[in-house]
Amino acid sequence: MAAVIETCGLSKVYGDVTALDSVSLSVEKGALFGLLGPNGSGKTTMIKVLTGQVRPTGGFAKVLGLDPAKDGVGVRERVGIIPEQESPPSFLSAMEYLEFVGAVRKIPDIAEKAEKWFDILEFGDKKNVLCKDLSRGTRQKLMFAQAFIHEPVLALIDEPLINLDPLMQDVVKEFLSDYVRKGNTLFLSTHILEVAEEICSAVAILHRGRLLHAGPVADVRAHGEHLPGFFLSLVRKGGHA
Amino acid sequence: MPNLFSCLMKEEWRMHSTMFGSVSFALFPVMIFGIVFMGSFLLPLLSAAFPAGDLAFLAHATFLLLGFMVGGFGLLGNEMMNRRFGQASLLVYSARSLPLSERSIFAHFVVKDIFYYFFLWVLPFGAGYIAASPFSGVPLSRALLLLLTLSLSFLLGLCVVFLLSSLYVRSKTACLLAVVFLGVAAGIYTFWSGTNPALLFPPYLLYSAFSWMAFLATALAIAVLFAASVVLFSPEGRSSARTYRRVLGRLAKMLSFLPDSPIVAKDLLDLARSGIGIGQTLFSFLIPLVVIWFFLSLLRGSLPPHGLIIIFSLTTGIIASTIYTWVTEFDSFGPYSCLPVSVSTLIAGKMTTFLVLQALPAVFIGTVATLSSGPELVAPVIVLCLSISVYAAGVMAYLCGLSPSVLVYDVRVLITYLVLDSVALVLLAAVSFANSLYAFLSLFLLVPAYILVRAARARWDARDPAGI
Repeated sequence: MAAVIETCGLSKVYGDVTALDSVSLSVEKGALFGLLGPNGSGKTTMIKVLTGQVRPTGGFAKVLGLDPAKDGVGVRERVGIIPEQESPPSFLSAMEYLEFVGAVRKIPDIAEKAEKWFDILEFGDKKNVLCKDLSRGTRQKLMFAQAFIHEPVLALIDEPLINLDPLMQDVVKEFLSDYVRKGNTLFLSTHILEVAEEICSAVAILHRGRLLHAGPVADVRAHGEHLPGFFLSLVRKGGHA
Repeated sequence: MPNLFSCLMKEEWRMHSTMFGSVSFALFPVMIFGIVFMGSFLLPLLSAAFPAGDLAFLAHATFLLLGFMVGGFGLLGNEMMNRRFGQASLLVYSARSLPLSERSIFAHFVVKDIFYYFFLWVLPFGAGYIAASPFSGVPLSRALLLLLTLSLSFLLGLCVVFLLSSLYVRSKTACLLAVVFLGVAAGIYTFWSGTNPALLFPPYLLYSAFSWMAFLATALAIAVLFAASVVLFSPEGRSSARTYRRVLGRLAKMLSFLPDSPIVAKDLLDLARSGIGIGQTLFSFLIPLVVIWFFLSLLRGSLPPHGLIIIFSLTTGIIASTIYTWVTEFDSFGPYSCLPVSVSTLIAGKMTTFLVLQALPAVFIGTVATLSSGPELVAPVIVLCLSISVYAAGVMAYLCGLSPSVLVYDVRVLITYLVLDSVALVLLAAVSFANSLYAFLSLFLLVPAYILVRAARARWDARDPAGI
């Protein structure tokens, strides 16, 4: 299978903090790939580097054959992204925000597509509310909609289930699994291990910017372990290394 | 609550110093001191052109304006707070999680701003003048008095804006009425007495003829303004969700002849819906310029016949260039980071919005020129104002990218900005004084402005964007 994401010795240093330390990994087409790690392990930085939001200080990355450090806009044109903390612009309504995304991404029939997402994520009653007045959960739904509204072949999403109620988490998990079944690729960063074990086909574990493990979830199970236990023992060992 | 006060001071310092390093930021007051110290040696030369009283007037007006700027920058309701401080959990939001009232935090915030910006701007200015007094021949007592009265000017400006912003958050109509009332009162006074109301500015009166009674009266007025702003303060953000019909798409379509029309449409909606468009127009544009007009008009006797409107046009141009900060303060690159938008596209979009909003200074300076100087000066004055505004915004975009209101405190950035702008201002003032038609020469500034914006796009694209 072809790799849609490839990194080689990828590093990112902010001042005296090493956020990524020579990370090499590969994500194949059609994978639901989970990037796991404790807080501050470098997961968010990894997504930022892969989507050309920040430049690496060492190594390189290829996303859909493009170098995000050189063509970040090109990468962001082709992929869907849900950043961890970003909110939609305050003074647009939810519908207007999706229209804005449509205008920037040059998506035809944006209103129709937006309506579809309001239905899927069940927040049509909020479409005319200013983004600043939306609840966190509804903002998360809106960010989710903007990431998939242009039907990308690859999506990089940071903690997609956070702020969502259990019913909506179920809807989203079902959507993500379906998205991958259609041949798309998902790169998901999370520290909810149960979710990763439930839906991911492969995982990588980061700790203090270093890659501790990368491989199929099935391999972990083959050793008679569950992902949460495997993760905890690996990170604790890594933490003492 | 001394703890809250000291924490607010530390927080403000760290916000600034983390942007460009503690040493660089600490040099800012040193730079102000140095400029004033050296500038004091030019006083004898300046006195040949302007009477000493005029120079003192200008200094007081500048510090009143500084007070307006510092006050107006942060306190147009919660949205301005959000824009200034981001969504982070800063102390100003402590009332959400700690047993502190929002009114108390507001009062501490005002006091913090007074002290912080006093040490950042006012004291270094006064200290530079005092340090130069043995060499410049100015008696030490006069230099000390100037520091006192400039501080009072700054405090007056700050407290007036805090009061107006408290009023604005509570009732926009009441705030507008208060401003109109003050303007009308000044107009009536001028009409009946034939005297410029700026001559009644208390700190300047105090500087001209110090008396303890006048000092106490001025201090009392400032205290009353401060107390009234705290009493009137009403925290925002409790209203229910606001809804709007879809406008963005239609607006972007209407503006489709402009580059990056979705970004321009979004910026215009931001300005309109947040109320910041009106707030900034009032506090950062109209009020300062009306005050400046009164102060500058005192220089009429020292200027050529059309000199006043030329100087005012240049000043309006510089203030109009800060419209670039209105459109960049709304958002960092963060909200765009999930879209195929580069920093350079965003800079270009913000510059387009800035150019659209130049209609405001064009109408303003055109009206002032018509009323004060006659129709023949309208065209040169508008061209002069807009050219300098576009050029200064280009300098700002090059030096600061999308963060002009933060990076202005970087000493290197500020010095470069001042030098580049001053050269253009001095040259244009000189040629336009000679003949008002030479003001059209300012159109040549559009060339460096274009080059600067192009360079800004390349420069800021090459860096990791701030705000993500």
